[in-house]
Amino acid sequence: MRRTTRKAAGIVAMASVLALALAGCSRGGGGDDGDGTAAASSPGITDTTLTLGITTPLSGATAGPGTCTVAGIKAYFGAKNADGGVKFGDGKTRKVEIKALDDGYDPQKAKANYDQLKDSVFAMTAGLGTPTNRAWREAAISDKVPQVLVMTGDPIFSNKDDSPWQLGFVPTYMNEGEAFGKLLADSGEDHKVVILSQNDDYGEGYVSGFKDGIKGASNIQVVKELTYEATDTSVDAQITELASTKADVIFNAMSITPLAIAALQKAQQLNWKPSWFLPSNTSSPGAILGPGKASAFPGVYSVAFSQSASAPGFADSDEGAKFLSELKEYADYKDTPAFPHCIWSYQVGAVLDQVFQKMTSPTRDDFMKELRSISDYVAPFMLEGTSVNTTEDGQPAVSTVVVQKYNGKGYDTVEKFG
Amino acid sequence: MGTFIQLVIDGLSTGSIYAALALAIVLVNQATGLVNFAQGGMAVLSAYIAWWLAGLGVPLILAILITVVVSFFLGALIERYLMRRFERGDPDTAVVVTIGLLTLITGLCGWLWTYNNQQFASLFSLNTIQIAGASISVRSVGTIVVIVVMMVLLQAMFLGTKLGLALRAVAVNPQSAAFSGLPVGRLLMVGWGLSAVLGAVAGSLVAPQLSLTPGMMDTALVYALAAVILGGISSPIGVVIAAWLIGVLENLAAVYVSFIGYDLKVAVPFILIFVVLIVRPQGLFGRKSVVRV
Repeated sequence: MRRTTRKAAGIVAMASVLALALAGCSRGGGGDDGDGTAAASSPGITDTTLTLGITTPLSGATAGPGTCTVAGIKAYFGAKNADGGVKFGDGKTRKVEIKALDDGYDPQKAKANYDQLKDSVFAMTAGLGTPTNRAWREAAISDKVPQVLVMTGDPIFSNKDDSPWQLGFVPTYMNEGEAFGKLLADSGEDHKVVILSQNDDYGEGYVSGFKDGIKGASNIQVVKELTYEATDTSVDAQITELASTKADVIFNAMSITPLAIAALQKAQQLNWKPSWFLPSNTSSPGAILGPGKASAFPGVYSVAFSQSASAPGFADSDEGAKFLSELKEYADYKDTPAFPHCIWSYQVGAVLDQVFQKMTSPTRDDFMKELRSISDYVAPFMLEGTSVNTTEDGQPAVSTVVVQKYNGKGYDTVEKFG
Repeated sequence: MGTFIQLVIDGLSTGSIYAALALAIVLVNQATGLVNFAQGGMAVLSAYIAWWLAGLGVPLILAILITVVVSFFLGALIERYLMRRFERGDPDTAVVVTIGLLTLITGLCGWLWTYNNQQFASLFSLNTIQIAGASISVRSVGTIVVIVVMMVLLQAMFLGTKLGLALRAVAVNPQSAAFSGLPVGRLLMVGWGLSAVLGAVAGSLVAPQLSLTPGMMDTALVYALAAVILGGISSPIGVVIAAWLIGVLENLAAVYVSFIGYDLKVAVPFILIFVVLIVRPQGLFGRKSVVRV
């Protein structure tokens, strides 16, 4: 029933977008620079400002992480702007402005947001969600609008042939799954593994990466694989069925926070105590492991490439304190973020900053060229052993992860399983 | 065998969540003749109030009791100042208003308390008891017991008290009820107030399990409506049994019927509804509605 109301809202939104687009057209091309010597600058950039667009969920079930994807980058550029702005490769100093719209994780709305933003922003960035980013990927290619450093582990965004105007930021689901599979295979011990995965690209990506990681390892046996739907309210039945296998490792490729907590709790109620692997976006110590009482298990593993803001000691470090105060001041985000996406989007800001410093002409073409030329850049809060590398085709900006183990409060990087 | 019993118990526990919401829908329908789509949203709002009070240091059980009282008045106010305007008109309009109310309350909760998941402490412990190879959590048992008590109270109220009779009279025919001296307006307010109370209890019961977010009840609402149709909208006992049936059958079908699995289990309750409605259009336990000509 809510879909009907949403649809109505969508129609109204579409109508206003159309009206805006028409108004935009009647004003003519614009953007030509006076002297005609330099290349014409792209939309969304002047001599003093550059505007970035974001479409991301700010309401609905994914709003927690979604809000973070805006807050982090706002904090980064808010602080930069307060210092005067970003010095670009063409010698000009520009302030970076951000226009963020809510798509509620609805692909149709994401596309409408993109249409609304595309003529007034220089590039689209940082938005969260695979289906939502996919919804306007082809439009962005044909409009030649950069859709870069977006928060999705879908590999299609990092393949240059398919997606010339795109680049993913976070490691692909396969990168993550494979890292854990390898860790397990290298343990040298026999393990019985069960898999519970979300029935979509997200879950399938993790599972296929994991299977690549354990390929050829005779000590690892996958005894049962089950799925669940992202709309399910409970996975109790799945956990019950998996528990009956008495496996000692569960690979839980889940993206829904409440279900991740419920799964941890259910296993404890059944007195089944395997080791867990959780994806990076559902392994927050504060939001998931604490409420799920994860210390009851012999080990809870996750992969990461950046520090966690909710880990003990973070707020006491100079860098951490600065980040939290910038988040408060420039993004109006008052709490310590429970989701990693705030730090990720702060890092997106830092990577864009690097690109801007190299850009010698104010065009989207040059931006894409420089974006693909960053190697071994260690962004703020990155863990040792990880870095930003955009030169390798087929991989997102960050493709290296380290495996971490829960220590009751936060995570420690581990070299081996057990 | 242990797994089978476990699946049944898990199903009853999940079904109880749907049942709690379904009971509130039945109550409003019996008192006003409407299907209230905002019921899930109202339950979430109540849960947020209880969570907020608990956050201020009020003991959980007291916070829930205060919320129950507050919810009664909130429900009554919604009836008096919002729904009253639409009750005389086309019933379809009133239903659409409740859908709008759902969107409004969800947005309001998100605005006030953000869309982040909030941890709502559980009234019951997470400890488990072992019965016949199945582990049953105290929380599941607690939830099931509370639902049964609410169901019995409701059934008794509708069938055995003057208030219940008056509420039903108002729903069936407001004009005749008014002529026979019943305070129609006040009864409608009481009906909405009581359903908000049920919602508050439901919200507080399920928030620890689903973790508190503004959209917490959205999926549960769909199942609750299914239970209402399946059980018969006039029967509290019927909807609770239907909700349990949905929870249990869904689990069993996913595990034991290989072509259904976890991907298709969501369709099970709706196939069930389809079959039941062909045979018994009034639902499993519903009364046939008779119109005098």
